[in-house]
Amino acid sequence: MKKILYVAIREFLATVMTKGFVLGVLLTPTLIALMVFLIPRLITEGPPKIEGQVAIVDQTGIVAGNLAVSLTAQRFAERRAEIQSRVQWMAGNGIGSGNARRASTRAPDLRKPEEMPQISTVVLPAGSDVEQEKIPLKRPLLNKNGDPSIRLALVIIHQDAIKPEEQNAELPSYDLFVRGQLDDRLVEDIHSGIQEAIGAARLQEAGLDANNVVKLLMVKRAETRALTAEGEQKNSMMWNSILPVAFMILLLISILTCGQSLLTTVVEEKSNRVVEVLLSAVSPMELMTGKILGQMAVGFLILALYTGLGIVALASFAMLGLLKPALLLFLFISYLLAYFMIAAIMAAIGSAVSELRDAQSLMMPVMLCLMLPWFLMMPISRDPNSMLSVVLSFIPPISNFVMLLRMASNTPPALWQVGLSILMSAAGVYVALRFAAKVFRVGLLMFGKPPTFGTLIRWARMS
Amino acid sequence: MTNAVILKNVTKAFGETIAVRSFNLSIPEGALYGLIGPNGAGKTTLIRMILSILFPDQGELNVLGHSSALEAKERIGYLPEERGLYKKMRVGDFLVYMARLKGMDPPDLKSQVSHWLQRMGLPGTERKRCEELSKGMQQKIQFITAVIHRPDLLILDEPFGGLDPVNQRVMRELILEEHRRGVTILFSTHVMAHAEQLCDHIVMLHLGDKVLDQALSEIRQTNDPRHILFEPLDPSANMDQLRSIPGVREITSNGVGWEITLASDSSASSVIPLVVRAVVPAQIQIRRPSLEDVFISIVAGTEVQSEENAKLRASLRDGGEILEARR
Repeated sequence: MKKILYVAIREFLATVMTKGFVLGVLLTPTLIALMVFLIPRLITEGPPKIEGQVAIVDQTGIVAGNLAVSLTAQRFAERRAEIQSRVQWMAGNGIGSGNARRASTRAPDLRKPEEMPQISTVVLPAGSDVEQEKIPLKRPLLNKNGDPSIRLALVIIHQDAIKPEEQNAELPSYDLFVRGQLDDRLVEDIHSGIQEAIGAARLQEAGLDANNVVKLLMVKRAETRALTAEGEQKNSMMWNSILPVAFMILLLISILTCGQSLLTTVVEEKSNRVVEVLLSAVSPMELMTGKILGQMAVGFLILALYTGLGIVALASFAMLGLLKPALLLFLFISYLLAYFMIAAIMAAIGSAVSELRDAQSLMMPVMLCLMLPWFLMMPISRDPNSMLSVVLSFIPPISNFVMLLRMASNTPPALWQVGLSILMSAAGVYVALRFAAKVFRVGLLMFGKPPTFGTLIRWARMS
Repeated sequence: MTNAVILKNVTKAFGETIAVRSFNLSIPEGALYGLIGPNGAGKTTLIRMILSILFPDQGELNVLGHSSALEAKERIGYLPEERGLYKKMRVGDFLVYMARLKGMDPPDLKSQVSHWLQRMGLPGTERKRCEELSKGMQQKIQFITAVIHRPDLLILDEPFGGLDPVNQRVMRELILEEHRRGVTILFSTHVMAHAEQLCDHIVMLHLGDKVLDQALSEIRQTNDPRHILFEPLDPSANMDQLRSIPGVREITSNGVGWEITLASDSSASSVIPLVVRAVVPAQIQIRRPSLEDVFISIVAGTEVQSEENAKLRASLRDGGEILEARR
């Protein structure tokens, strides 16, 4: 047992203490962490506090007044707040509020008009020469925050904007010219303002009170609440679809990284001929067990790093409530079951080949196995209890990924299915380890032509 | 005397090729046995079976009182033919790791490692990575891994391969030192001269069969000398007259003098007086048969004087190719 531990410790340190690992595994979460914490503090959500004029050529003579109102800072703030509330609804109302998020950043409060662009409007005569009026837009902007007297945009409201001709119904009712490199959010805001103003003018023309119509059309969307055996839960469409995928990716990354690393170290030991020195001190079974355990610790490190990072990120966005401890426990169990099976196969392949490139053909079916849940992610996520999902839940090593996807979904599977899936995976692990142990013993000292899967099976029978 | 290694009717085949065939061997404790034979004779397979790295298809093994070396790995030291080190690992860490795998874990393990490095003429290499060392230095590191845990059985597979003459001498001294400590040593080589210099008992293998298992002294006694080295007093003397002496089969020049090969039915004692009478010698001596000669005589027969025989000799001197043709 002590020897297995020594092999495992060496395997762990030899993998973790390399520049490649540090850069690839440790640096990535560090960069993500920096992005999560620093970038929101460095950038602002709102557009720059730009100042300037919007010139209006209103060929209808009705819209300009409405447009002046629509382009005020107050209306900008109201429209932004509306968009924000829509996004918040998508992310889930119960998992954090605008206030909580703003507390973690220096982003401006989108409901404050003083944070919005300060636009004044100039109404030009209906018969103005459009080409002449475009000239001020071509002059360079000396101050990046603008100037109250500088022209930022020119709006031409078409003559038939209020009552479009039958043949022009599909055409735009206005033209908008803006100066180059104007903030795209401001351009969007101006578009929204114009559409709002034309819409209001059309309602007026139809004899309707625009304010009343808006009020009548506005139906506040309610929160969706999912009813489960545990009770009533607030529903978050976006996070409910992201979380299972995130868990599956996490499992895949940790297993692929340490599985690949195990294969590489076995092949290296074999091609370096150090394996014979090792076999004079430990049995092939002790060597294989030590290596698998060492890489398992590597996988745990990756899993812990990314999970920890995810938890911190969720906590910082006040979304920690999304994570259930049972799900984390199942992630841990899934990792163990999937890892042991994949690691056993990788160890067997590594022992059978003399060079890493010889392993590629043997790796192909294993990689396909690992990629299958990825390809089937959408149908499984959409219907976690379909026949396909249930059947795949019992076929190791895919079962671990599929079951995790289902467990993290809105409609987790029945407990018996979870138990049976674990049982099937455990059986798969047993078969894979036995197979690997036999192939490992024979393959370690075999050099020459790269074997096929048939050869591996023959070796397993032979030993 | 108790035997450190016992092999009874051990056979190992790889597919159609039989690597070791019905092999019997007993190595007494404290002995220094030479396992010799050309490349491909089955030496490494035999060693791997003794170490339980490979398992025999048939037969029984007993190593240090156990039916499998797996139960006695901590008492065995092994220097394999193929040198293997973790290239990126530091020398000190590698030696500590190997010592621990061999069951050593004393508090002063690191100082023991330093002591061994000092002894091998490699001071200050502890912090170096294995790949930074020369081939000879790497071999010394491997030798340390084989002996650092003070084993009772030391198996050395081609320990002189890749070493310069100075380091060969250092290695020879270290092996003899271990032998004096009472360690049983099994020394495998295809270079017969190395075995002749070191071992007190020789086991010869050829194509998986044991062809000789005898003490070196007995080998020398039982194999009649068939060659006489002769140097005439007058370098211009007519040597052709020696060819007509009864019992002389062949006379060849060796640069300095002449080598007289005796016919199979004659002896040195009957031929030497006749040679001396024919040409006045400056020096005459019987050349004792080397292990190489013995091996050739056993596997090829003295009458065979073919190109194949010359290839076999070459392989026994400096590692020629496996004699596939003989299979």
